[in-house]
Amino acid sequence: MTQTDTMVSVAPIEIAQRPERSAITTRRETVFDIQNLTVSYGKAPAIKDVSFEIYRNMITAIIGPSGCGKSTFIRTLNRMNDLVPNAKVAGDVLYHGVDLYGAKVDPVQVRRRIGMVFQRPNPFPKSIFDNVAWGLRVLGMKDNLKDRVQHALEQAALWDDVRHRLKKSALGLSGGQQQRLCIARALAVEPEVLLMDEPASALDPIATSRIEDLMHSLKNEYTIVIVTHNMQQAARVADLTAFFSLEVMPDKSRTGILVEYDATEKIFTQPSDKRTEDYVTGRFG
Amino acid sequence: MRVTLQQDLDSINANLLEEGQLVLRALRGALNALREADAELADEVIAFDDEIDDSYTSIEQGIEVLLARQTPVAVDLRLVLAMLHTNLHLERMGDYCVTVAKLTKLVAGVDPEPRMLQAFEEMGERAEEMIRIALDAFVERDLEAASSLVELDELIDRANRRVVKQVLELDSDPGLTEWGLRMIVVSRCLERIGDHAVDIGEQVAYLVTGEFREFTDASHPVERS
Repeated sequence: MTQTDTMVSVAPIEIAQRPERSAITTRRETVFDIQNLTVSYGKAPAIKDVSFEIYRNMITAIIGPSGCGKSTFIRTLNRMNDLVPNAKVAGDVLYHGVDLYGAKVDPVQVRRRIGMVFQRPNPFPKSIFDNVAWGLRVLGMKDNLKDRVQHALEQAALWDDVRHRLKKSALGLSGGQQQRLCIARALAVEPEVLLMDEPASALDPIATSRIEDLMHSLKNEYTIVIVTHNMQQAARVADLTAFFSLEVMPDKSRTGILVEYDATEKIFTQPSDKRTEDYVTGRFG
Repeated sequence: MRVTLQQDLDSINANLLEEGQLVLRALRGALNALREADAELADEVIAFDDEIDDSYTSIEQGIEVLLARQTPVAVDLRLVLAMLHTNLHLERMGDYCVTVAKLTKLVAGVDPEPRMLQAFEEMGERAEEMIRIALDAFVERDLEAASSLVELDELIDRANRRVVKQVLELDSDPGLTEWGLRMIVVSRCLERIGDHAVDIGEQVAYLVTGEFREFTDASHPVERS
């Protein structure tokens, strides 16, 4: 059974093993194919006519000024906007060729395949172990639970910090540790994609650096999409960078558009669009 | 911490040392071609410069991307700037080897003056030694070794001054006079390679101390005996 087959199945939830992935990506394999995506809250579109592809085992950064729709965009990739009243999605978000917003697609399976880490670490008021085990239990992935929890904590570079206090409350961890716990929680259910919405903006520079190193090591196994208002962070970690900006519409309303999408080194040394150049050099935004 | 930055720095550093080895090969080839009046080898040295230039360009681009993406600071920034300068110095050394090779071809039909050929061999060996010391000092962050390049350079400078004197003493045979004039340029090239090795030493000192200063001030030289 392929991943996409699993995703559209409704019940019972079948736990497929994640396929083996090569550590080295020799060619670009499309994970998301976004076509003419427009997302509106009520009448006004938050992002309009966005089209680009996101590739496997790469880190793709979304940058842009406040209000340009970065978070709106990333939330469409795992249907988090379903939870927002009035949110309307038009256009296509194809995940391995399957329309994520198709009628038969189960949003729970989508979010299992496509995990998310948020700006503020949001551990549950439970033990460290239970935080990581939570998703596994909900999804019925109860075999080898201890091993799965340990593996996820190791992947999130947190195991050595917490191995002797797994029963202690997650709320006793530092901010940086809490965020890595949230990453472990997302990884535990074996997603293919990790969406990170400003994952380090509430952390100090040392904790930020650890998260960035962690992303670097995770990209061999996962496809990562990160939204960041910190341009230098995008420059440091991302393979590809998409620059979103605000366009003033004829009725004076503002909407987010994709201005440029390219290799990160191109965006930060020789962007093709003047709006990108103005933004990355700090002359705008 | 900052795994990507460290990997990028290590990679550029390794490429720079490799470029140093290419320059040493070019210099040895140029010296052998000169000694043996070997036009074919001289052609090889000229063609080989493309490899040095490719290495130079690749390092330059690597540094550009590193600066844009990793925004290095403090010792990392000094290392990047020192590598940027050292890359240019090595590339220029390669160009001087090409000039020596071209001059070797121009005087292919003239019997050389053996005493001067011996002097070039010695200058060349000293230049090779200086390049090795400069690169080792860069790797080891060895301020003392870097500073020692000044004294070695003084020996090449003196040899260069002697060459001019020797050319003036050559027989007034037109062929030999032309050879002598060409050889003044060869001597100058070897002397400049020494200067660039000293410049790399100055980059080592900057890297270690955080202060840039020239080891010697060419505009206000110390009185020589």
